[in-house]
Amino acid sequence: MKDHTYGGLLSRRNFLKRSSLIPLSGLLAQAPAIGADARRATFQEQVQAAIIGFGPQGRDIAATLTRIPEVDLAAVVDTYNVMLRRAQRSAPGAATFEDYREVLDNPDISTVFIATPTHLHKQIALDALSAGKHVYVEAPMASNIDDARVMAQAARDNPNLIFQVGLHARSHPNYRSVFQFIRSGALGKATMTRSQWHTKESWRRASPNREREIALNWRLDAGVSTGLIGEVGTHQLDPALWFLSKRPAAVTGLGQIMLWNDGRQVPDTIQAVFELEDGGVPMLYDATLTSSFDAAYDTYSGRDSTIMFRDHRAWMFKEVDAPLLGWEVYARKDKFYKETGIALVANATQLDAQDISPTEDDPNLETPLWYAIRDFIDNHAFGPYPPAASYEVGFQMAVITIKANEAILQGTRIEYDDALFEI
Amino acid sequence: MGTVRLARMAMACRFELVLQGEDELRLRAAGEEALREIERLETRLSRFLPVSDVSRINTHASEEAVPVERWLFDLLKQSLDLHRCTDGAFDLTIGPLMKVWGFYGDGGRVPDADELAQARLRTGMHLVELDEAHCTVRFAHKGVALDFGAIGKGYAVDEAIRILREAGVERAFLHGGTSTMYGIGQPLDADSWNVAVVDPRAPDEPVAVVAIRDEALSVSAVSGKSFEVEGTCYGHVLDPRLGKPVRGALLAATVTSSATTADAVSTALLVHARPLPEYRSLVIQPDDEGPLPHRILHHGIPLCDTSKKTPAPPPAPVLNGHATTWQQHPA
Repeated sequence: MKDHTYGGLLSRRNFLKRSSLIPLSGLLAQAPAIGADARRATFQEQVQAAIIGFGPQGRDIAATLTRIPEVDLAAVVDTYNVMLRRAQRSAPGAATFEDYREVLDNPDISTVFIATPTHLHKQIALDALSAGKHVYVEAPMASNIDDARVMAQAARDNPNLIFQVGLHARSHPNYRSVFQFIRSGALGKATMTRSQWHTKESWRRASPNREREIALNWRLDAGVSTGLIGEVGTHQLDPALWFLSKRPAAVTGLGQIMLWNDGRQVPDTIQAVFELEDGGVPMLYDATLTSSFDAAYDTYSGRDSTIMFRDHRAWMFKEVDAPLLGWEVYARKDKFYKETGIALVANATQLDAQDISPTEDDPNLETPLWYAIRDFIDNHAFGPYPPAASYEVGFQMAVITIKANEAILQGTRIEYDDALFEI
Repeated sequence: MGTVRLARMAMACRFELVLQGEDELRLRAAGEEALREIERLETRLSRFLPVSDVSRINTHASEEAVPVERWLFDLLKQSLDLHRCTDGAFDLTIGPLMKVWGFYGDGGRVPDADELAQARLRTGMHLVELDEAHCTVRFAHKGVALDFGAIGKGYAVDEAIRILREAGVERAFLHGGTSTMYGIGQPLDADSWNVAVVDPRAPDEPVAVVAIRDEALSVSAVSGKSFEVEGTCYGHVLDPRLGKPVRGALLAATVTSSATTADAVSTALLVHARPLPEYRSLVIQPDDEGPLPHRILHHGIPLCDTSKKTPAPPPAPVLNGHATTWQQHPA
């Protein structure tokens, strides 16, 4: 039996010994910047992985793994045979199972990606950690705070196992770059953040089997769904809170069914206002399933400038009275109606070194999910160290969005008691 | 029994979907998932999105073997087969030619002889190496670029149809940009989904009404994206063997069981400017001698009797595209 906790892979201590040129701080902050050749040299065998849950997110994980050569997708688990057929078309080499315990019992599989409906994460994650597997679990971690806390406790109690939550922005070079930029004072005094996610669709799923259809529509089941703020907003609120390095003190929510009045209880249109601790920056969030206008984006505003994220790209819009930064004269600029955005490009100096203009798209650009999984897999060789999207971060976001969903459903203001965040 | 209509912009065109059945909630849910699948495939097959699989292949495959998912590898293999079946008229590696003719920009231009020769050197499916065992793709040399423009829409339609069938949909019609379409079963009020194929220069009179039932129809035309230099019009459909815009046909249509095949073959028929015996097809050739009617060659698709007045189509649904009008005619 192989020891997949460390088996065949370099331990962190050995890696640091061999990589004396890379300081620990650089390793933790910039794992993706390590060159591909150096990274491959440390993987003596492929990580044997399984995906549990082959809905849209599970499919994306499978697609992403084809671009990470250090991983072999050995198995896919789903309780719905339609999804298993899709898995066979995507990764015919992977064994398929209906019961996740079969992959947990397989000693050759060291790692599981959990992409099931949110309310099913807890038991699978606990069983996976008990079975000695590294765990990547999609965000939100869980559909209620008790489940999220139990998961976080289990992750804390297994420090030799990697437990990463699928908060992709934490691994994305553009977000990391902007994080540094904001922390260096580019916004001036931060004053507000605003995020939106607009689309036009029912959020309903179909199956010829009625029982299966009920299971597929867990997002519309108020008993287990974390709603739009949990299932979608998590990924937008997390970077905002990360950039601001604050926790919300209270949230006021409003939710209504404005279009899809089909018997559901989960609102199709929501608004939430977060008050940050110490009277800090207010955060506004809105999402709707009734209109696709202006799609999704996030803005972080301050006295000197506003930074906008759209499709994981960032632009800075300067106030006319803001101090000149110097470099922006040479940067690419894009028009947004009457505004001019200065493109914020991560790794601009590296691109320049490769004779690629920083005003062009990086030809090596990857999807947010790829960066997150890349981080997770690097941790297998160089760790285990606390991932950027650690159990603490994942738990905190679960608490924030689950309480926000409560506020939305009740149309009220809820304060975040410090005890809520205790693991 | 009800009807649900959905639409989504993807792959630079409008996809429209009509679903019929008893439970409109379920029909909508199934239709939305099918259209999301088309959007998802666009993110994988677009040559314009920097994180797509095709962009990744085009950027790296001349330097190293690029691993791809099995479905994409299978699509590449199918493209190779279609390239052979059509005697090279369908070719995924048309990217360099499209670029020198300026069709990736807003207009177009006639390349000089040297540019064209260089682009032709980088065109041809023999330059694409597929490794079945490792599921990788590699180019024989730098500058080769894949372009799924003549097959991606068809593949997306097939995958969307697969999702509709998995969800239990028994009556549906899906088209992308009115050029590639598929009908599941039959509509409530007819024996088949009936699609009018029109002469691009006389759009009021259909040349054929194609009855579709669990089949795909694809229509390609040289009109649409084109430019004119000194009185000569250059359309965006290129003959990959000559490196030049096709001149021998105005429109081609084919009916097959697969939208993927139909999409690629209808483009190849434009290049050949005649029907191929293996496919139910129709080709409209230009007639330089005079105005209408153009010469229409067909195989397995009956033409409308132009001596009789075509029945007026019902007021809806009518979808106007560059090459085809889709109308629900009486069977």
